[in-house]
Amino acid sequence: MQLSRPARLTAWVLALATLTLTGCGSGKSSTVAANAKPVAGGSLTYAVNTEPTCFDAHISPQDITGEIDRNVLDSLVSEDSSGTFHPWLAASWTVSSDLQSYTFDLRKDVTFTDGTPFDAAAVKANFDSIAAPATRSQYASSLLGPYKGTTVVDQYTVRVDFSAPFAPFLQAAGTAYLGFYSPKALAAHSNNLCAGGAAAIGTGPFVFAGYTKGQSAVFTENPNYAWGPAGAAHSGPAYLSKLTFRFLPDSATRVGTLTSSQAQVIRSVPAEQVASLKRTPGVTVKELEQPGGAYNLWLNTTVAPLDDQRVREAIQRGIDIAADVKAVYFGVYPRAWSPLTPSTQGYDAALVNSWAYNPDLANRLLDEAGWTGRDAQGYRTKNGAVLSVEWPLLPAEYITDQRDVLGQAIQADLRKVGVRITRPQYDIGTYLQRAYGGKEGILDSSWSRDEPDVLWLFYNSASISAGGQNATFYKDATLDSLTAQGRATLDKTARDQSYGKVQQQVIDLATTVPIYNPVTIVGEQNSVHGLTFDPNDWAVFYGVWLS
Amino acid sequence: MRFRTKVLAPVARRLASALAVMTGAAAIAFAALQLVPGDPVQILLGQNNTASPEVRAQIRARFGLDESVPLQFLHYLDHLVHGDLGQSYQLQQPVSGLISAQLRPTAQLMAGAMTVAVVLAVSSALLTAGRRPVLRAAAGFCELVAVSAPSYWVGIVLLTVFSFQLHVFPVAGDQDFASLVLPSITLGLPIAGLLAQVLREAMEAALGQPFVLTARARGVGQTGVRLKHALRHAAIPLVTLTGWLAGSLLGGAVLVENIFGRPGIGALTLQAATNKDMPVVIALVLVSALFFVLISTVVDLLYLLIDPRLRTG
Repeated sequence: MQLSRPARLTAWVLALATLTLTGCGSGKSSTVAANAKPVAGGSLTYAVNTEPTCFDAHISPQDITGEIDRNVLDSLVSEDSSGTFHPWLAASWTVSSDLQSYTFDLRKDVTFTDGTPFDAAAVKANFDSIAAPATRSQYASSLLGPYKGTTVVDQYTVRVDFSAPFAPFLQAAGTAYLGFYSPKALAAHSNNLCAGGAAAIGTGPFVFAGYTKGQSAVFTENPNYAWGPAGAAHSGPAYLSKLTFRFLPDSATRVGTLTSSQAQVIRSVPAEQVASLKRTPGVTVKELEQPGGAYNLWLNTTVAPLDDQRVREAIQRGIDIAADVKAVYFGVYPRAWSPLTPSTQGYDAALVNSWAYNPDLANRLLDEAGWTGRDAQGYRTKNGAVLSVEWPLLPAEYITDQRDVLGQAIQADLRKVGVRITRPQYDIGTYLQRAYGGKEGILDSSWSRDEPDVLWLFYNSASISAGGQNATFYKDATLDSLTAQGRATLDKTARDQSYGKVQQQVIDLATTVPIYNPVTIVGEQNSVHGLTFDPNDWAVFYGVWLS
Repeated sequence: MRFRTKVLAPVARRLASALAVMTGAAAIAFAALQLVPGDPVQILLGQNNTASPEVRAQIRARFGLDESVPLQFLHYLDHLVHGDLGQSYQLQQPVSGLISAQLRPTAQLMAGAMTVAVVLAVSSALLTAGRRPVLRAAAGFCELVAVSAPSYWVGIVLLTVFSFQLHVFPVAGDQDFASLVLPSITLGLPIAGLLAQVLREAMEAALGQPFVLTARARGVGQTGVRLKHALRHAAIPLVTLTGWLAGSLLGGAVLVENIFGRPGIGALTLQAATNKDMPVVIALVLVSALFFVLISTVVDLLYLLIDPRLRTG
C-alpha cells in the first residue's frame, strides 16, 4: 500500500497535465481571406524531428538535408506535384532521342549570393564534383546515374551526357541534391560544406545564416532573388525575412511548440496526436501521402522456407493488414496494395483489393506445401522442422512510426496460420551485415522518392550487391528488363505499362508484402499562408507569408 | 609548507594519475569499439543507401579504416599527441570543434542542475531534520517522488505547464538564462531528492551528538545550531555523494537535452556511440575521464575545507 501512494499521485498529476494540455488551446482564429494580398516580412520557425548529420546535399542522403538545402540551392528544373517539369535555372531544355544527352539553355540573370554569376561553367563544376569519387557522395552521385560528363557549349548552354539511356534525369535534376553551390564556395570549402552555415552559398531565396548543432539552423532572405521557378505564385524575393529550422526530436515537445505559438509549422505529428491537434483552434493539420516505396516487407526468396512460393503467398494473405494498420495508426495511414504508394507516378491502382486477407487460403497453401504437422505451441512442422522465419528488428533508435508495435500485430496474425516469426534485435552493424548479406528471411523498409525508378532499386538483379536495395534477392530476366525499360523511355504510357507489370508481378510472386503508405503529417498555425510542398512532401518556404 | 603538502601535493598526484586514467580510458574505448560488430562505413551510410562500392572504398580510405587495427590505434595516438582529435566519421567535421561547441551548454546544464539539487536538498534538510513526524513524512514523500519520477515525464510536465500554457519559459534550446531553468530543474530534481534524504539523516545523527548540547548550553539558538554545527558535520557524506552524482549527470543529460531540444554533449555521445563514430567516442571518453578526475579532486579539497580535523597532523 505504501508504495502505491507515489504511483497514485503520479497518475493524478499526469491526468491533470494531460487535461491542461488538451483542454485549453490558445483560441486564435484566422480571419484572413483566402485571396488576401501577401505581406512581406516576419520570421517563421519550423520544428522538425531530425537533424542533418551533414548539410551538404551533394554528399548526404538524408531527406532533412534536401528539405533544408532547398532554401539555399536552386535546380535546373522544377517538378510539380503532377510530375510536370517547369523551367527554373534552365529557361528551356532538349533531350536527345536516345535519352543519353540533355541540353539546357540557362537563364542569364542569375547570380549566387557571393556575387558569382550562374552559368554553364557553374553547372559543370557542380555535376563534376558530385560525380568525382573523392567527393564521397552518398546519394547525389547515384541520381546522376550513368553520368559521362558535362560540356560547356557556350556561356549559357550546357550539355549533360550519359553512357546509357537515362530517363529519370529530369526528375533528379529537379531535386535539391543536384542543386548548385557557387563554384567559388565549392572550391574553397569542399571539405566543410557538411558543417552548413555561411560557407554554403547558392542562388536560392534564402541565405544560410548560421547553425547551432542540437538546436537550430537559421536562414535570412536573399533580397536579390528574382528567379523563382515557373509555376510558383510569385518570382521576386521570399516574403519571410527569417526562417528557422528548429530541431526537436521529442514529438510531445514539437506539438507543444505549435500549440503555444513557439513554432508556426511542425513536421511529423505522431499519428496518435492528429485527432487532438485537429480540434485545437488556430491550427491546421495537413496529411500528405509520401511518394515512392510504401512500407513493404521484403521476403528473401533464397532462404528456406521462403524459397517456396506457396509459403510466401501464405504469409502475404495471412496478415490482416487493414486491421493491423488501422489499430496502430488510428486510421491516419492507409494500408498499401502495391510496393509503390498511390501518389507515385506509375502506381498501378488495379492491385487494390486484388490480394485481400484470406487466412483460409493461407492455411490451404501451407498444407499443400507440406507443412501439415503441428508442434506443442501450434506452429506448423514438416519432417520435424518448425515453420519459422526470422525478421530482425532494427535497433530502437532507428525504429520509426512504431513499426515494432505493428510488427507484433503481424506476428500474431501469422501465428494463427501456424507460421512462427522470430524478431531478434541486433545492433545496426550486425543488422545491415546480415540483412543485405541475404541472411534474413524478412526485411522491412519504406523509401521516399517521387520516381517509379525506385522499382529498379527494389527488383533489378543488379541491385543485389553492396549499395543494392533488392532485399527479395530474386533474379528474374523479366523483372530486369521491365525495370530497365522504364529507365529508357520518357513516354509516360510506356513507363506506366512496364512499371505496372513490375508491381503486378512482384505481388503475384509474393516477394513483397506492402503494408502501409507513409503519410507526412504537418501542423501549421492559421497565420501561415502559401506553404506548399514539393513532390517529396518537403515544405517549400519561398511563397510563405504571415498574417 | 602546510598548504603545499596538504593541497598541492594531492593535486599534483591527481594530475599524474589523470594522465594514466585518460590513456587507459582511450585504449579501452578503442578496444571496445573494435569488439562491437559492424562495419563503420556501412553504419555511416545507413539502411537506405545506394552508395557504390567505389564510394565506400573512398570513405574507408579517407578515415584510415583500410589499415590494420593496431596501426589505426597507433595513428590515432600519434594524432592525439599532436593535439589532433581527428574527424568525425558521421558528421565529417573536426572532433575538437564539435566538442568545444557542445561543451558549454552541457556544462551550464550540469552546473544548473547541481545548484538546483544542492539548494533544494539543503533547504529541505535544514527545515525538516528532527522536526515533527508529519513534516518529515511530507518532505520524505516529496523526495521519493522526485527520485522516482522519470526525467522524461518531469520534463514534459514542466514544459506543458510553464512553457506551453503559462508561456513563462521558452522551449529551451540554448538562448539565455530563462532557457536553462526548466532543464536544470528536470535534471536536478531526482538528485535533490536523493541528497535531501542522505543529508537529513546525517543532520539528525549530528543533532543527537553531545556537541549540540554543548552549543545549546552556550546559548546558541536552534537555527544557529543547525546552520553552524549540524550542517557542517553532516556535509561530508553530502559532498561525497554530490561528487559521485555529478559524474553521473552526463547520462541524464542525454534525455533532458532530447526533450528540451538543447544542444550538448549528451546527444552527441549517444549519436556517436550508436554510430560507431570512433574519433568522437574516444574524445568524449577522454573528456569525461578528465571531468571525473576534476570532480574527485574538488571533492577532496572540499573535505579539507569542511572538516578542520583533516587539516591537522
